[in-house]
Amino acid sequence: MPEPAGAARHTKPTRRLHQVVIRFAGDSGDGMQLTGDRFTSQTAAFGNDLSTLPNFPAEIRAPAGTLPGVSSFQLHFADHDILTPGDAPDVLVAMNPAALKANLPDVPAGADIIVDSDEFTPRALQKVGYATSPLDSGALDRFNAHAVPLTALTTEALKDFALSRKEADRCKNMFALGLLSWMYHRPTTGTETFLKRKFAARPHLADANIAALRAGWNFGETTETFAASYDVPPATSAFPPGTYRNISGNLALSYGLIAAGRRADLPVYLGSYPITPASDILHELSRHKNFGVRAFQAEDEIAAIGAALGAAFGGSLAVTTTSGPGMALKSETVGLAVSLELPLLIIDIQRGGPSTGLPTKTEQADLLQAMYGRNGEAPVPVVAPRTPADCFDTVIEAARIALTYRTPVFLLSDGYLAHGSEPWKIPDPDELPDLRQQFAVRPNHTTDDGTEVFWPYKRHPDTLARPWAVPGTPGLEHRIGGIEKQDGTGHISYDPGNHDHMVRVRQAKIDGIGVPDLLVDDPTDDADLLVLGWGSSYGPITAAVRRLRGEGERVAQAHLRHLNPRPRNLGTVLARYRRVLVPEMNLGQLSALLRATYLKDVTAHTQVTGMPFSAERLATTLREALHAR
Amino acid sequence: MPGDPLPLVPWAGTRQSATEFKSDQEVRWCPGCGDYAVLAAVQGFLPELGLARENIVFVSGIGCSSRFPYYMNTYGMHSIHGRAPAIATGLATSRTDLSVWVVTGDGDALSIGGNHLIHALRRNVNLKILLFNNRIYGLTKGQYSPTSETGKITRSTPMGSLETPFNPASLAIGAEATFIARTLDSDRHHLVDVLRQAAVHQGTALVEIYQNCNIFNDGAFAVLKDKRSAQEAVIRLEHGKPIRFGHAGGKGVIRDTATGRLRVVPVTAGNEADVLVHDAHETDPGTAFALSRLADPHTLHHTPIGVLRQVERPDYDTQMAGQLDAAVERDGKGDLAALLAGTDTWTVKE
Amino acid sequence: MTYVIAQPCIDVKDKACIEECPVDCIYEGPRKMYIQPDECVDCGACEPVCPVEAVFYQDDLPADWADYLGVERDFFATVGAPGGASSQPPLETDHPAVAGEPQRTASS
Repeated sequence: MPEPAGAARHTKPTRRLHQVVIRFAGDSGDGMQLTGDRFTSQTAAFGNDLSTLPNFPAEIRAPAGTLPGVSSFQLHFADHDILTPGDAPDVLVAMNPAALKANLPDVPAGADIIVDSDEFTPRALQKVGYATSPLDSGALDRFNAHAVPLTALTTEALKDFALSRKEADRCKNMFALGLLSWMYHRPTTGTETFLKRKFAARPHLADANIAALRAGWNFGETTETFAASYDVPPATSAFPPGTYRNISGNLALSYGLIAAGRRADLPVYLGSYPITPASDILHELSRHKNFGVRAFQAEDEIAAIGAALGAAFGGSLAVTTTSGPGMALKSETVGLAVSLELPLLIIDIQRGGPSTGLPTKTEQADLLQAMYGRNGEAPVPVVAPRTPADCFDTVIEAARIALTYRTPVFLLSDGYLAHGSEPWKIPDPDELPDLRQQFAVRPNHTTDDGTEVFWPYKRHPDTLARPWAVPGTPGLEHRIGGIEKQDGTGHISYDPGNHDHMVRVRQAKIDGIGVPDLLVDDPTDDADLLVLGWGSSYGPITAAVRRLRGEGERVAQAHLRHLNPRPRNLGTVLARYRRVLVPEMNLGQLSALLRATYLKDVTAHTQVTGMPFSAERLATTLREALHAR
Repeated sequence: MPGDPLPLVPWAGTRQSATEFKSDQEVRWCPGCGDYAVLAAVQGFLPELGLARENIVFVSGIGCSSRFPYYMNTYGMHSIHGRAPAIATGLATSRTDLSVWVVTGDGDALSIGGNHLIHALRRNVNLKILLFNNRIYGLTKGQYSPTSETGKITRSTPMGSLETPFNPASLAIGAEATFIARTLDSDRHHLVDVLRQAAVHQGTALVEIYQNCNIFNDGAFAVLKDKRSAQEAVIRLEHGKPIRFGHAGGKGVIRDTATGRLRVVPVTAGNEADVLVHDAHETDPGTAFALSRLADPHTLHHTPIGVLRQVERPDYDTQMAGQLDAAVERDGKGDLAALLAGTDTWTVKE
Repeated sequence: MTYVIAQPCIDVKDKACIEECPVDCIYEGPRKMYIQPDECVDCGACEPVCPVEAVFYQDDLPADWADYLGVERDFFATVGAPGGASSQPPLETDHPAVAGEPQRTASS
């Protein structure tokens, strides 16, 4: 295993573990997200399976040292295939009293807690309501607490660098990273390379951060505070052969959009207005102009989808990205896109609602908004990714549906998938689906008098999709709009019979979208209980189901990617099980759809805490469901 | 083509006629509506512009004027209330080979869609915006609009409107518009002259067209249209010419040296040299702003029409395309496999 | 396309149409009113106000008066497009076809 240059080899006893959950917590300004990202990257490079959960406040910089200002990053890594970022940390790194206080309730007895003891000053303690220091009061007795003067050690290690006190202070996250890297045998060369790149313009800061990283490592090796280090072997059996990287949901979505554009041979056009937690996609797509991607930051949510729709009319693969409140604003334009029958991707990174709600927390409560949040009968396909890496494949599937059927499509991700990350087997671009479409280039209809004309609403007999004739095509000039039009000609029509026909045709087009059958995982093929989920709850549900199966229980599991239209075999699947449990981070929205559509008495298991399900608690719920009479 | 003002939009190979620009749809405005005059003028002038018909797109919002695209045998979209500038922005910024026109009204552009209008103007996207201002809501049957005069009695203001109206040209100057003109629906010659200048402007052109709604606000601009009153009421701006009007050019606009304000005065041998010469290309918007609001808001006397302001500023869509080209120049054409792989990878072997 | 003023206008010239025309394209001859076809914007405001129902959309001209489309076109081929009737004095002569119509008496 590679070790940082200049660092001594591990001389202390090493203990082998199968999995570890680490949580880094500190002030918003302490660089905890960066620390977590780097530890993740090192862990990925080492070959463990992993899953991450960043958690940060809505405020950019809440007052330093206060509870609202605490930011954290949790990482679960293992020598086997894992599915969630872990319910409870085995190790908490708390950079100040606020971080300790905010995270302590999640930490089980016996866990390791590492705190920066330099930050436990009377003033800092008072800010968060500690009358006496928890380091002295016995509050940490049931844990394995390590009070480490991180600030002083970092400053001491950097005394030969010409740094201001503040600059030196800001390196302490790298000291902590070095210490944890020592504890868990993480390779740090990647982080050193990263630091050199990040601080290329200010090499002395790169050197200082690297020195802090190495000092942290060496501290672990020499101090008596830590008696042993831990080894979590690579998860060799969890991964099929291939080249891997770590990827977050929003990054996977961004790459999926670029890939879809390439595979469709269409320029990607993003119309977006910044909103948490979707803005990363705007940032990412803005960086890839050499892929012909146009990323347009509009004046508001409505303009963002409007611009995207205008670009779709012009022949782009058009996208708008947002979160729940922005979805609400876009509703009227989604209806227009339904009426125009143009391809358009609407990506909703769901967050806690209603209204502004919990901008940085996760929820799955926009399902019914996506399904029904428009005036009139305005059916729109809905798909949802299940893991961060799955965002890549799901957005390509959304593009396939939009382009093939000439329709807006919703993709429902959420804050948990957006910022969470996992290893991803890098696909071969040539093996991605072929999304190429044929624009209309010639008249498609002959009138009774033999004239060749273009009918913008003359549909494909199989897909019911209308032709996509883009401006610039001679002879196909046509006008489309939100007013009801005659099927075929596209002329304005207020005819009652035509409206009834058009409403039904638009619905039939969406209902007829080709969707793969739902696969059910039922190893014994005789389970009584089916657990059916959608979206980001895949990880916790699967982890919970595994625990039960480990206990010898018989449980079937299935997960929906296509929420509208749903797989053709869903009704049969539901009928096959005596009991169906649907865990959702809302008050039962999918459950309501299933009950209404399939007349199946499914049971909703709901949670709206802004946090993902805990696998352990979900397992308890399933256990109760299994043994309920 | 001479000058080639829109280098990216292809030219028609052959001579076109107004008939080619008429769609097969029956025009359904109220008889006598000013919209007919604007439609006829646009259909009559586009062939002269010589652009390929298939590369012209009309985008509208909601309102009487927003029916316009249906009557043009070009590409067109009748969208939703107020959003035409946003939709047209997406189209124009993704397709620099198109000539994109927005048709809108005072309610559509200045009320429900006000935000999109000002941002389109500030960005300077290649859009030609025809703002049909009839100072009333027509399609919803006669409520006051954001350009209706204070005190206006309408169905929603039976005791008179309490609001101060927008002056669209002043608003556009505040929104950093690079081309602002004002014209009249019934003055075909003037209307076409203004449209011709708007069409070849690089960036957003706002053309405010005073348009008569003969049903709900008949005669709103009568003083500017009646040949007898117009001579004293209308000031025809021409770039590079002294701003004079009235019988035999007997009146002129000068700048009051004490206050800096613009004033209308009888032109005499003594002050003739002081008459302001209209400079549409002046980058400082001060004089254009003063001219935009020279008219008496109640009587409309001294209403300047013509191109108030036309200045050069790089347009958004060309620059956006330029950034894409620059990125390819700098980084090479995007390599998807390399992008997906990133820099931190590991390999799992059999 | 244009609106056309046909035979019933001859010797009547009520001129209600002039008040309605938004683009001032209806010109006065000695015995009949004339619509300038290139200036007409097809708005149809003139048609319903004519007390003698002399105004027709060109495609709707009754067969008996189908010639009047040609009459107005010919007429303005010489007069041109003055760009507004109100700034013009009445025209001095009628189209020969109009001039040749028998004089309408008050009682007829």
